[in-house]
Amino acid sequence: MNPPGPLGVLEEKEEEHLSTPILGPSINSDNPQERIQARRLRIAARLEARRREALGEYLDGKKESEEDQSKSYKQKEESRLKLNKLLLCGTELVTNIQVATDIREIHRRVEEEEIKRQRLEKLENEVKTSQDKFDEITAKWEEGKQKRIPQDLWEMLNTQQVHCAGLIEDKNKLISELQQELKTKDDQYVKDLKKQSDDICLLLERMEEQVKHMMKTFRQELNYIEKAFEVERQEMLASNKKKWERALQAHNAKELEYLMNRIKKVEDYEKQLNKQRVWDWEEYNMIKIKLEQDVQVLEQQLQQMKATYQLNQEKLEYNFQVLKKRDEESTVIKSQQKRKINRLHDALNNLRAKYNKQIKHFQEENQSLTSDYKRFVTQFKELQRAMRHFALVDDKQFREIWLMNEEEAKDLISRAFAVDRIIHTHHLGLPWTAPDFWFLRNVGPISQQPRKSAAQILEEVLMQAEEEGTEESTSEAESYLDLPKQISPRTTRKILMLLCDDPRVPLPDPIPLLVFSCRSPFLPSCKCVPLHLFCNLLHPCEQTSLMSGPEPGEQIDLEEQKEESLVEGEPEEKEAPPSPRLIHPNDVLKILEAFVMGLKKPKDSQAPVKMKYVRDNSKDSEYWESLTTVIPDATQNLWDALYTALEKYHLVLTQRAKLLLENRSLEQQNTELQMLLQQYLDSKINSELQVPPTQVLRVPTK
Amino acid sequence: MQETLATSTLLSVPSRSSISMQDKFSTAGQTSTAGPQPSRPSIIPPHSKSKGWNSGTKVHWMRRIIAEDPEWSLSTVPLLTELCIQHIVKNFHNNPILKQLLPEHQQKVLNHLSPDLPLAVTANLIDDENYWRRCCEQRWPVCHVARHGGSWKRLFFERHLENLIKQFIPNTTDPAVILDLLPLCGNYVRGLRVDQFLPPVRLPPQPRSGELSDSGSEVEMEEPATDHYQLCDLVAGLSHLEELDLVYGVKDCGMNFEWNLFLFTYRDCHSLAATIKACHTLKIFRLTRSKVDDDKARILIRSLLDHPALEELDLSHNLIGDRGARAAAKLLSHSHLRVLNLANNQVRAPGAQSLAHALAHNTSLISLNLRLNCIEDEGGQALAHALQTNRCLTTLHLGGNELSEPTATLLSQVLAVNTTLTSINLSCNHIGLDGGKQLLEGMLENKTLLEFDLRLSDVAQESEYLIGQALCANREAARQRTLNPGHFMSPVIAKGPENLAG
Repeated sequence: MNPPGPLGVLEEKEEEHLSTPILGPSINSDNPQERIQARRLRIAARLEARRREALGEYLDGKKESEEDQSKSYKQKEESRLKLNKLLLCGTELVTNIQVATDIREIHRRVEEEEIKRQRLEKLENEVKTSQDKFDEITAKWEEGKQKRIPQDLWEMLNTQQVHCAGLIEDKNKLISELQQELKTKDDQYVKDLKKQSDDICLLLERMEEQVKHMMKTFRQELNYIEKAFEVERQEMLASNKKKWERALQAHNAKELEYLMNRIKKVEDYEKQLNKQRVWDWEEYNMIKIKLEQDVQVLEQQLQQMKATYQLNQEKLEYNFQVLKKRDEESTVIKSQQKRKINRLHDALNNLRAKYNKQIKHFQEENQSLTSDYKRFVTQFKELQRAMRHFALVDDKQFREIWLMNEEEAKDLISRAFAVDRIIHTHHLGLPWTAPDFWFLRNVGPISQQPRKSAAQILEEVLMQAEEEGTEESTSEAESYLDLPKQISPRTTRKILMLLCDDPRVPLPDPIPLLVFSCRSPFLPSCKCVPLHLFCNLLHPCEQTSLMSGPEPGEQIDLEEQKEESLVEGEPEEKEAPPSPRLIHPNDVLKILEAFVMGLKKPKDSQAPVKMKYVRDNSKDSEYWESLTTVIPDATQNLWDALYTALEKYHLVLTQRAKLLLENRSLEQQNTELQMLLQQYLDSKINSELQVPPTQVLRVPTK
Repeated sequence: MQETLATSTLLSVPSRSSISMQDKFSTAGQTSTAGPQPSRPSIIPPHSKSKGWNSGTKVHWMRRIIAEDPEWSLSTVPLLTELCIQHIVKNFHNNPILKQLLPEHQQKVLNHLSPDLPLAVTANLIDDENYWRRCCEQRWPVCHVARHGGSWKRLFFERHLENLIKQFIPNTTDPAVILDLLPLCGNYVRGLRVDQFLPPVRLPPQPRSGELSDSGSEVEMEEPATDHYQLCDLVAGLSHLEELDLVYGVKDCGMNFEWNLFLFTYRDCHSLAATIKACHTLKIFRLTRSKVDDDKARILIRSLLDHPALEELDLSHNLIGDRGARAAAKLLSHSHLRVLNLANNQVRAPGAQSLAHALAHNTSLISLNLRLNCIEDEGGQALAHALQTNRCLTTLHLGGNELSEPTATLLSQVLAVNTTLTSINLSCNHIGLDGGKQLLEGMLENKTLLEFDLRLSDVAQESEYLIGQALCANREAARQRTLNPGHFMSPVIAKGPENLAG
C-alpha cells in the first residue's frame, strides 16, 4: 500500500496509544473487565482508522503516490524494461548458437542423406557389375572343367586369375574409396569436434559475457533505482521535516498558550481558594458553635435518656420477672391442659364406645320398635275394622235414635195440636184446622237414604272383576275411569282396594256410589253430593301434591292425612300403607287424577240438580226447627193470652170453687165426666186420626 | 563409560557451571551432592551466569575464591564443555555422540567434525546442513544445491552414489560397494543423474580393437557381455527416488572412441524397464544419448504405461522412429505425463500424427518437445489440428522439423483460438515470408503466448519484429496478471506503483 495511508494510521494509533492509557481503560489493568473494555476500544479504533483510510486517504494517497512515486516507479519500470530487453537479447544471442548448430545439423543431415543415397547407388552399381563379372568367372569355371588340354586350362586359369584380380581390384578400389571417405569423415568428425568445442567455447564466452553484462547492468540499474529512491527519500524527509517543524511550532505555540492559560487559571483558583478558605473558616466557626450547643443539648438528652434507660431497665427487669413467673404458670397450665386433654381424650374414647353401644342399643330398639309398629299396624287394621263395624252400628243407632226422636217429637206435636185444637175448639170456640206440614209426614232421617257403602260397592266391583277376569275388570274400570294406558289395571285395582279398605277415607262412600250410579243410574240426586265434596276435598290435596315434588310416596300419606284432617277433623295417627312400595307413587297420583276427572264429568252435567241438595244439609236443623215451630207464634201468643186469661179465669174459678165447693160433687161429676170424655177422646185419636174429634164428641153429646 | 558419564552430566546441567567441572573429578552419582566442597575451591570457576538451585552458594563461593586468589583468571583454563566437545569430536568415529547433547553443543561438535568421517557413522546421525556442505565442498569444487532440492545432504548422497555408479565396472567391481551404501543413503536420495555407464572390461579383444571395421561385428557377437550395471537392486532400495536421469555411454573417451562403448543392450533395456516399473515414486525419467531405438523405446514405454507417479519422460538424442513415437502417444493417454521430450530423434510424419491424435484429447501434457525431428508438414498440420482442441499444452518445440507454410497457416488459426499455449518454437524451419505473415495475423489475436521463436525460418524481419512486439505486450499483461490477479484489464501505470510500494 501507499505509505501515506499507513503513516496516517500509525499517527492515529500513536495518538490513541497516548490517549487511551490516560483516559480510557488500560490493557495492562488488573481488572479483566477493564482489559476487555480496552481491547474493544482498540479494535474499534483500528476499524475506524481502516475505514477512514479506505474513504478519504485512499484517494489522497493515490494522487500523492502518482506524484511522489512516479520518479522511483518510472526508474524501476525503465530499468525493468531495459533489463528484460537485455535478457531477451542475451538469451537470444546465446541460443543463436544452438539454433545455428541445429540448422547446421539439419543441413548436414540433408547432405549426409544425399551422400548416403549416392553411395548406396554406387554400391549397388558396383555390386551389379561385380556380380556380372563374378557370374562370368563362375561360368568360365564350368568351361574350364570341360577343358582337357592343360595349356588351355592354364590359359583359362590365367585369364580367370586376371579376372579375379580385376574383381578384387575393383572391390579394393571401392574399399579404399570408402576408407578414404571414412578418413575424410574422421577428419570431419575431428573438425566437428573442434567446431563443437569452439561453439561451446563461444557459448561459454557469450554466457559469461552476458552474465557480466547483466550483472553490470543490474548493478547500474540498481544504483539508478537506489538513487531514485534516495532522492525520493530525501524529498520525503525534507517534506516530513517541514511538516514536523510546522507541527512542532504549532505545538509550541499551543503549549505556550496553554501555559499562559494555566497560569491565569492558577491565579484565579488561588484567589478563589483564599476566598473559599475565609468563608470556610467563618462557616467552620459558626458550625463549631452550633455543634457545641448541639453537643450540650445532646448531653442533656443523653442524661435524660440514661435516666429513662435506667427506669426502663428496672421496669423491664420487673416485667421480666413477671413474665418468668407467668411462664412458669403457663407451663403449669400447659401441663394441666395436657392432662386435661388426656382426660378428655379418655372421655372421648369412652363416649365413643358408649356411642357405639348406643348405636347398637338403638338399632336393637329400632328393631323392637319396628316390630311394635308392625304390631300396631295390625292392631290399627283391626281397629279400623272395628271402626267400620262401629260406624255401621252408629248409623243404625243414629237412624233408630232419629226415628225415636222423631216419634217423640211427633208425639209432642200431636199433643200440641190436640191442645191447640182443644183450645181453639173448646176454649175459643174457633174452628181448628189441623196444619198440614210436609215434615209431619216425614219419617226417618232426611239424608239417610237406603244405599250401599263405598267399600261394599268397591268390593262388589272388585269381586265382579275378579270373577269376570282381569281384562273385563280393566275394561269396566276404564268405563268409568279414563285411566292412562301406561298404568296397569292391576295397580289401579290395588289402589282402589286400598281406597276401599282404608276406613279413614271418607270418600269411598260416595265414589263407589258414583261408580255404581254410572253403571246403573239409580239415585242420580244422591251421588252428586259426596262427589262434589270429594272433589272439593281432593283439589287442594292434589294441588299440594303436584306442587310439592319429589317424594310422592310420602306425599300420598300427607295427602291422605290432609284428607283425613279436612274431612273428619280429628287428628289421627298417620300410618304407612301396608305396601307402599308396591305401587309406584307416580301411578297413584295419576290414577287418582284420572279417577277424579272421571268423576268430574258427570258432575258437570248435573250441576243444577246438585244445587238443591246443597241446602238440604241444613234441612236437618230446619227440619228439627220446623218441628219445634209447628205451633206458630200467633197461636203461642194466643196461648199466652189465653193462659193469662185462663189464669185469671182460674183465679175466678178458684174463687168460684170456693164458692161452689158445695156443688163440688156435681161438678165433680161433671169433671169426672169430662175427664172420661177426654180420655175417650185421646184414645180415639190414637186409633182414628182421620176422623175429627168434634164429630166424635158431638156424637156422644147428641 | 567415561563418555556416557560426561554426556549425562552435560545433559543434567543447563549451563557451563562448576558442577560439570567437579563431576569430571568426582565419581558418578555425585552430581547433585557436589555443591559445597571446600577442599578444591580453586578449580571451581566463578561463573556468574550460573542459575538454578545453588546460585546462592555459588555467589558465596565466588567471593571466597576471589578473596583467596585475586590473580585467578578464567581465560587460562579451558572450559570443561569445550574439552568434552573436543573429545567427542576426536572420538566421533568410534563413539558418535550427538543427539544427547544440547543444541548449542551439538552445533559446536558439528562445526568441528571432520568431513572425512565414514558415512556409516554420519549418514543417519547428522542432519546438519553445514556439515554436509563442508563434505560436499571438500569433494567437489562445483556444487549446485538447487538441483538437489536445496539440501546439501541430499546433494552429497546423490552425487556420491552417482560417482559410484559411474565408476562401476561390471564383473570387476564388487556390487556390494553400492549396495552397502543403500541403508545409509536410502532416505536421502531423491534423484539419480548418471551420465556414464562403463562397459565391462574386455581384455582379449582390446588389442585387436585397432581395426575399426571388425569392431562392429565383434560387438554384435559379444553383446551379452557388454551389459552395464543393473539398477534394479539399487532403485528398489531407494524409497524416495523421484528422478532418474541416465545416459548409457562413456564420457571423455576422446580419441579412444569405440562404438561399443555406447551400447544400450536389450538386457539393459529389459532390466531398466523392470526397474522403472517397480519404482512407484518415480516422477521424472530421462534416458538420453543412449541409442534407444524403436524396439527399446517400446519396451521401456510399455513398462511405463499406467505408472502412478510419472510426470516427465525425456528420451531425447536417441534413435526413436515412428513406432517409438506411436508408443509414446499411447503412453500419453495411459498416464499423467506432463512433459514429453523426444528431441533429436527420427520421428517422421506418421509418428507426429499419432502423437497429435493422443494430444487432441490429452488433459495433462504441458510440454512437448520434438526438436530436430523430421515430422514435416503432415505431422505439423496434425499437431496444429490437435492443438485446436487441446486445452492443456503450454510449451511446444517444433524446431528443425522441415515445416513450411501450410503448417504455419494452421498454426496461425490455432494461435487465434488457443489460450493455453505460452511458448512455441518454430526455429530452423522453412516457414517462408507468407507463412510469417499468417503467423503474425494469428499472433495479433493471441493474448497468452509469451515466447515464439522464429529464428532462421525464412520469416520476414518485419513480421518477426511485429510478432516480438505482440509477445512483449502479452508478457506485460501476464506480468500484471501474476502481480494482481484481481485486476486483469487495469492499465499498467495506474496499478504499478501501489503494488511495488506495498
